[in-house]
Amino acid sequence: MVFSKLKSLPLFLTLLIAGLFVLLPLGSSAEFSLRQPTKQNHGFDNYVWFISQPEFGHYMGVSFSLAAVSALILLVLLVPTVVWLNLKGQKLRPFVDFITLMPLVIPVVALAIGAQNSLPEFAQTNQFILSFLYAVLAMPYAYRTLDTGLKAIPLQTISEAARGLGANWFRTIVRVITPIIRGTVLSALFMTLALSFGEYTITSLLHWDTFTTWVTVISQANVMGAIALSVFSLVAIFIFLLLVGLFIKPAASQVAKEEE
Amino acid sequence: MNQPEISTLDRKGASKRGTLSGQSLGLILGVLPLVAFMGVFFFWPLWSVLWSSFEDNFGAFTLKNFEVALGEPYRTAFSNSITLGLISAITSAIPGAIIAYIIESRGSQKLRQFIASISSVLSTTGGVPLAFMFIAAYGAEGSATALLRAFGINIYAGSFTLYSLAGVIFVYSYFMVPTMVIVFSPAVHGIRREWQEAAKNLGATTAQFWRRVGIPLLFPSFISSLLLLFAAAFSAYATARAMTSGSVALVPLMIGNLVDGNVINDQMNLGKALAMGMVIVSLVAMIPYLLIQRRASRWQQ
Repeated sequence: MVFSKLKSLPLFLTLLIAGLFVLLPLGSSAEFSLRQPTKQNHGFDNYVWFISQPEFGHYMGVSFSLAAVSALILLVLLVPTVVWLNLKGQKLRPFVDFITLMPLVIPVVALAIGAQNSLPEFAQTNQFILSFLYAVLAMPYAYRTLDTGLKAIPLQTISEAARGLGANWFRTIVRVITPIIRGTVLSALFMTLALSFGEYTITSLLHWDTFTTWVTVISQANVMGAIALSVFSLVAIFIFLLLVGLFIKPAASQVAKEEE
Repeated sequence: MNQPEISTLDRKGASKRGTLSGQSLGLILGVLPLVAFMGVFFFWPLWSVLWSSFEDNFGAFTLKNFEVALGEPYRTAFSNSITLGLISAITSAIPGAIIAYIIESRGSQKLRQFIASISSVLSTTGGVPLAFMFIAAYGAEGSATALLRAFGINIYAGSFTLYSLAGVIFVYSYFMVPTMVIVFSPAVHGIRREWQEAAKNLGATTAQFWRRVGIPLLFPSFISSLLLLFAAAFSAYATARAMTSGSVALVPLMIGNLVDGNVINDQMNLGKALAMGMVIVSLVAMIPYLLIQRRASRWQQ
């Protein structure tokens, strides 16, 4: 279908080279992960091996709960703030834009050292401190996603209508605005989940064990298993994010559809 | 890395200005939770790194940490990391820019959206799994290596190994090229067809259009994207660590070794001075990036 629309050779060549660039390592490592050296054939032995490790379920659970908490923190913090900024806080916008962008500018290693140096003992001994730091790292993406989504809807009119009908601010944000921008909220949520799930730098520098650091640990015992696990986690995150992109419509098109 | 492009920063939207001055307290209260959160979990830790980098083991002021951080072997590590950042940025920015241009100018709406979503997914890859994926595919036994050899390309003909600086640059391109496509596409999109037509009507050839209009317009965006890629490659940690396991001296890895206690140094705040060095290099790259993006976003709407 796409191919019938190819207008020219340069476009075709670009797609071919880009496709090879993306798919060759992916396909080739998938093939590698299916090799069974002892049996001289291909099969799912390496996959069966890592799934049968007791740590597999354990670390999946750990990483998933850390990621879920960080997504929750970010949404509870950001949705009201970004609504507020778009309604009344225009003066503070440059300042908030700036501080939410900084995690992209500062190397993660520096933040990890700082967290280790400054956070109090009780925070450092609780693994959920990672959720807060993951939330900081996902902040630039989540903030901008929500901001773009809110700019696409007639926020002022909607909130005045809700307030006029007697809803307080809490109800307006939770029951009226959030459902309208649900697509945007969900994509911010899933992006935060994916980023948190794959975070390695802070996790390993603060000496915590999660799913991502476990890959390094098992590579010392079974390289083939570690490669299978890597392919599994990369492909799972690709599919997850692509599905999110396909099924969650951005707020703008949602509103346009509802207005038709 | 960046899903929502950063150029959306500072767009219009500030239509209503000047709320009553009595409300300014309320104004600040609205953003207080976010500012407090960033303060505690981001700015406070960074401030403590800055502060401690000037302290000796007993908490007295010293410049010794920075003296050591600027000497060997850390000087080499900084120069390796900066080289890695520069080469990686240039080798990924050029193909990324070409892909962005061809897709934006010739692709259908559907194809552009497809490429955008694929790029945003690929730009988030990295970490240890990416390193293992490349080791499996392009290692000596990998089928990608075998396939390329069948087409006459032997990547191991020279002195190339995946576990060197060149190898790391090769692996980084997997997320850097898509990042370039994301950050550079809005700029290419901003070169409006009308401009090209206007130039043509005034008698310009295609080459003249590019030399006088297109390239001067795109150049700042290209440089700013390059700076963003530089900062990403310069500070990446996980992939480099999994790939080289210490065989290439890079600053983030050296900091990691100090933190993990793999390397014993009698100055306990040396790692903080190295981290401040990284922050300074990143700021030098990112401040021009933000300024250029701000200017460019004026005509990219």
